Amino acid sequence: MTQIEREAWAILLILLLAAAVAYAHVTTTTEEYSRYNTDWNGTSALPAEEIRDLRNLDTAATLLILAPDRPFTAEEVGYLQTFLDAGGRVIVADEEGTANSLLADLGSTMRVRPQNLASLERDRADPGLFTVSVVGNTSLFAGVGTVRVNRPAAVTGGEPLLETAILTWEDGDGDGRISGDEVFGTAVICAAEGNLTVLGDESLFINAMLAENPQFIENIQPIRVDSIHSRTGTANPIINTRLWIQETPPAAAAAAALAILPVAWHFGRKRDD
Amino acid sequence: MADAKKYYAAAVLAVWLIIIAFFMVLSRTLDLEVFFVLALIGLLVVAVLIDGAFSRPRYMRYIGYIIAAGVALFAYIVAQKILEILAA
Amino acid sequence: MNRQVSHAVLAAVAILVLVLIGVQAVDPVLYAAKNISTAAHADPATIQKRSPGDAASLVPLMDELLGETGTLALTIKLQDYESAERDLARYNELSRRFDRLVVTLDVSGTDIGEFQQNNRQNQDALAALLNDTRRFDALQRLEIEVRGDDEQHMTVIYEGEALRQKMRETFSAYARREAATVRIAEHYEINATPYQESVDHFAEVADAANGWQEEINGGGTGTGGTGSGGTVQSPLVIAVTPVEGSYGDVLLVGGIHAAGKSGAPVEIYVDSRLAATVALDDDRTYVHSYRVGRILAGPHLAYATAGTIYSNVAAFEVLPKNTSITLSLAEVNGTAVACTGNLTADDGRPVTRAPVLIRVDGETLVGAETDGNGTYRADILLPAGEHALRAEFHAAGYPLNASESPTETVILRGEGLSPFPFAAAIAAAAGTGWYLRRRRSEESTPAAEPEAAPSPEVARLAPQVSIAGLPPREAATVLFCTLRARLGLPETKTPRDCARIAPAYAGFFERYERIRYAGETPSEEELTDMERIALGGDADRA
Repeated sequence: MTQIEREAWAILLILLLAAAVAYAHVTTTTEEYSRYNTDWNGTSALPAEEIRDLRNLDTAATLLILAPDRPFTAEEVGYLQTFLDAGGRVIVADEEGTANSLLADLGSTMRVRPQNLASLERDRADPGLFTVSVVGNTSLFAGVGTVRVNRPAAVTGGEPLLETAILTWEDGDGDGRISGDEVFGTAVICAAEGNLTVLGDESLFINAMLAENPQFIENIQPIRVDSIHSRTGTANPIINTRLWIQETPPAAAAAAALAILPVAWHFGRKRDD
Repeated sequence: MADAKKYYAAAVLAVWLIIIAFFMVLSRTLDLEVFFVLALIGLLVVAVLIDGAFSRPRYMRYIGYIIAAGVALFAYIVAQKILEILAA
Repeated sequence: MNRQVSHAVLAAVAILVLVLIGVQAVDPVLYAAKNISTAAHADPATIQKRSPGDAASLVPLMDELLGETGTLALTIKLQDYESAERDLARYNELSRRFDRLVVTLDVSGTDIGEFQQNNRQNQDALAALLNDTRRFDALQRLEIEVRGDDEQHMTVIYEGEALRQKMRETFSAYARREAATVRIAEHYEINATPYQESVDHFAEVADAANGWQEEINGGGTGTGGTGSGGTVQSPLVIAVTPVEGSYGDVLLVGGIHAAGKSGAPVEIYVDSRLAATVALDDDRTYVHSYRVGRILAGPHLAYATAGTIYSNVAAFEVLPKNTSITLSLAEVNGTAVACTGNLTADDGRPVTRAPVLIRVDGETLVGAETDGNGTYRADILLPAGEHALRAEFHAAGYPLNASESPTETVILRGEGLSPFPFAAAIAAAAGTGWYLRRRRSEESTPAAEPEAAPSPEVARLAPQVSIAGLPPREAATVLFCTLRARLGLPETKTPRDCARIAPAYAGFFERYERIRYAGETPSEEELTDMERIALGGDADRA
């Protein structure tokens, strides 16, 4: 190989490396709960299918509304109600209380109460990472004795499914220990009313926590994530553009044509040999 | 080119440093001591491979001093780690 | 840009980078994924694991403690004193474990702390009940024996009366604690039935004592000493003034011995433990200043004995008081921190000889003790870095409430630099330098030898004939070296270079090149020719 060719190969290699790094940087995000976040707090490893339309959902699947941050219109609430009545299972996972308006619209008495729960029943140094036990009889937690939660909120109302140990308190002053006028008491982390389940810990679905409760994740398969209202989307324009191209067939055809035509033209024209 | 070997050696060393940096970023731990030790290993391997038995080119003349300095720093790090282990 | 400038720029950049790295070299771990968390969740892979501790055994232990009170009270009622001793020992052991667990889990500020205090008082009460019942049993048998002897009978009666009063007072205090303990038990969903049964057993034992006493007085044996209303009045009277006190207060415990002699010794007992021995004054009174020290808050009983005569039982109450504890930290030579502080009750009185715990980083506990002024001091060895320390006073056995100091942080520099790593570095550098030197000199001495050999030969060869003993190709090599040296060409020049530089001898050099590198063997003739040229023959013969 001549010197020029060697240099060209070296430059090409470096450009390829840089392009790969740029691609990885641009097609992933660091937004919490995003499906395109491969880091610890994303949901890229969650085996779920995204849906954008709440109409005519398959009742064999579980609909997961993960950390909703967009309000539900009356129409959408109607679709959800039809889904529930038809026997479909809905899990609303929320830690901040934004799902309370949806729960009120659905006519449920369950509410999410965001609290800084801490417990002594744990094996990590952080008081917010503790284990709760399964009470109640439901297929969601079949074969599961304890669930490890990650800074959950309490759920009021409904039939309790997950309850903390008695040595749990609400850490108002945030010092990690029970002090002042904090008292011990159990709290309910997950409650259900018929087919509607409210889970006070949306962190159970992030990449870092999927390995902690594998049986639970398996029990709720197949999962459909409501990507319009959940925080599993992304604000990254490049990813959104790619998604849009994948979903609209004319755009995909146009992109394919854009890639193929120059190559065809290059090889198809007459050469002067 | 008369000193193609020199450029090859520099390129290999640079690629090796990029590889260790990549793996350190991937594992979310940036430790200068580990980086230095791995870089020193790379330098020693490269120096042995490009050393000719019959000639000593100009770019190899002072590599002995650099290697001696690197080994001295390596011995310092190892001694400190031994002290840490003994104190624990 | 020429080479000088580019080299200068490279050198400057290299020095800049080395300086930047050197600045960070003191703390080489630039970044480590530690405790990654956001408000909503934490990354469990980066949070340190710690052993689950015994948090799960806290509530079952409380359950066991309450269960144990039930069995203990029952065995005491049934007068099975050996089993009762065993049960009491087990109960004490469980209480000790419970106390340790409460301190380790840092939950003494909650209602579990209140449960702990009640438990301690129950422990004392049940132990006292066991001893009193046993003694009472013995007295009952003794009373029957000494029915004939009035004086002895009277002493037995007085002692029995004292015991009865003790049991009654202890029971009322025990029953008073029932409500709070049951409330806490229900909060933690513990079975409180055995405990409630223990209160009933305790009541029955106290009633049995009452029954005996009435029976005795109804029988009416013995002269004198029977007061109005059927209660026995002992000649030895005791009273406590004031009836209430708190830590550090002095209570006057004293009374009159109606049938006593001046100078006779009177022993004063507080809670069945001997508190003091005083002598009767001339007017048959005795008094003792009792300082409230390490005694539980709540009701207590005092009585006196003079010889075999027992007095009545006087009750007094010890009130709890709040305390406050201070902590100040000082770094001592980089590896240890000196903690000092004061433990005082709310009214300013220092708490002396009390145990203080210092919690390091929320996990480890170091013990210390206050001296006579309520000051404590402890030196703790810690690794380098930042540490959070807090002093805690768990008022075990004191009529004081627990208190803790605010958390103080200290940053320890760690040990200074030790010389060992520097010595190792210097030794390694010296070793490397010596090794590289030796390798270089090995290379150069074998190179020097073939040089040294031919040069004396050249001096010798010039007037002499060629070396006949050598094989042809080696002889050619010797001749080539000779000619090269004679022409003044450097050793590093190859035959082709020599041919280029000295074209007059080009033929010789080219021939030699073929011999040396192409493996040809020179003939005798050629050797002779070459020898002639090498040794300074004709130039035009080449």
